[in-house]
Amino acid sequence: MEALVARTLSKTYQGTSGIVRALDSVEMTIAKGRLFSFLGRNGAGKTTFIKIASALLLPTAGSIQLFGIDVVEHAREIRERIAIVPQEGKPFYHLTPREHVEEYLRVRGATRETARSRADEVLEDMGLLPYQHIPAMVLSGGLQQRTLVAMVLATEAPFLFLDEPTLGMDPFARRQVWDVIRHAARKGSTVLLTTHYLDEAEQLSEELAVIEGGHVLYQGTPDALKSKVRQEIRLHFDTGFTREELAAYGEVFVERGGLTLLTTRNRAEELTRRSLERKVAINVGPVTLEEAFLTLVGRAIEEEDPEALA
Amino acid sequence: MTWRTQANAIWRICYFYGFLALRRQPLLFIAIFLTPLSFLFFLYVVAPHSVLPYGVTGGIMFTALFTGNGMMTDCAYLRLERQLQQVFVTSPLRPMSWILGMALGELAWTIPAIGLFLFVLAIVVPIGALAVVGLVGVVLLTWLLSTSLGFLLSTFFRQLREIWPIGAVVFTSLSVLPPVFYPIAAIPADYRWVAFFSPSTFASQLADHAAGLSVPTISVLPGLSSIPVEVAGMVVLTLLFAAMAMRLARWREP
Repeated sequence: MEALVARTLSKTYQGTSGIVRALDSVEMTIAKGRLFSFLGRNGAGKTTFIKIASALLLPTAGSIQLFGIDVVEHAREIRERIAIVPQEGKPFYHLTPREHVEEYLRVRGATRETARSRADEVLEDMGLLPYQHIPAMVLSGGLQQRTLVAMVLATEAPFLFLDEPTLGMDPFARRQVWDVIRHAARKGSTVLLTTHYLDEAEQLSEELAVIEGGHVLYQGTPDALKSKVRQEIRLHFDTGFTREELAAYGEVFVERGGLTLLTTRNRAEELTRRSLERKVAINVGPVTLEEAFLTLVGRAIEEEDPEALA
Repeated sequence: MTWRTQANAIWRICYFYGFLALRRQPLLFIAIFLTPLSFLFFLYVVAPHSVLPYGVTGGIMFTALFTGNGMMTDCAYLRLERQLQQVFVTSPLRPMSWILGMALGELAWTIPAIGLFLFVLAIVVPIGALAVVGLVGVVLLTWLLSTSLGFLLSTFFRQLREIWPIGAVVFTSLSVLPPVFYPIAAIPADYRWVAFFSPSTFASQLADHAAGLSVPTISVLPGLSSIPVEVAGMVVLTLLFAAMAMRLARWREP
């Protein structure tokens, strides 16, 4: 059964210089119980989609259903089944992490005992037990973000919207949150996650979609996205080759002050020989999801505006 | 969610947003009664002492009216800056429950200040239990009217910078310009009816009646100064503002 079905979903805003198309005929299907990532640049349309799907914003055209229920017409029924970590949300300044979780669950209708036991569980899983009685105003930004995520994941809602849930967290905290998100999916929740951390999407997603300029460019598994770029090896050069030279071997983009090339195994071997001749250091590895994403979105931007990435 | 769980949700919001905040930040209490107390002190220094009881009932009504300003500021802040209203919107909680919970939280902050003004009123004029009941009734109607207006306005802001000027215009014109802190008798007799364009005039007249203060008749529309008309006016206005908050507030962005 599908947890989410969007058909020709569009959203336009009246901007200062004309109409802005935040979403343009988006088609998307997410299976029930799936851990799904939504990737895209800033302003690509991810948050707009999440806001519409969570009944926070009305679409301009098209339809969207959650568990077969129309989101526009039946917002109340939808709200019974969802919970959201909003982008750049912050907790109440005067409440402790435990109070956030327990009070939110009780507002959603949980009994005191259920709220307490779920708070015990999620605070431990999120590494918040040492801070459970400290008001949020004196917690670090990362701990505040963890509090907000704990509050929402504790709901065990059938559909969880997580809009950049690990923003500002250290690598250890991010991994703890990943475990809790996986746990929520194992318990049956469908999770729609947006993130700019591509390693996070690679670790968590069973399926993902890439959006650019309000259009969905890709929907499928992370591995299928990587194979879509038709290259298997990533080479990184700090110096020694020009962009024009490398362009003959595959897809090139500027990264970390050098050039990254995505190419085939045979061409990689040839370039390795040439770099040894020139005594140039290179970094070799398999193509990552990040590179696949950059390639896919880069191609879309170039098609739209050939000079945009020049 | 059943009505019972919605009622419990309202109480939980009031508890954690009102009482817990007040307990952890007692400065909130001082901040709330400081403005009306300053007005009262000003009246005490410059005006005849016969005006002082009007200033005290004015302090009560000002505090009740300013729950609307608090509601507007807090709801806009929670929505725009902390994104927390969205967390509650995307839950089984009904809009009415969120509004009532937050409004009760705002009321909780004002209880100490209103208690203080009632105490001062009892010192300056003899008031009985019936007067206190009447005043509490007016405070509750004013609170409901004001917080409904505050919530409605909060849903239209697009950024925090818009809150302060609009709050200053709306709530100052509701609480300072109309005869809240001064007796309506200070307005020339032929123009007193104009003051009734502000809902706070109904509230403050009722408060003055409840406290047993002298309230002149309104020569152009004498019915306006009768208690039944003022009660009816206040109830109708409160219901109107509450209905507007329910129907017009943007619970979902267009």
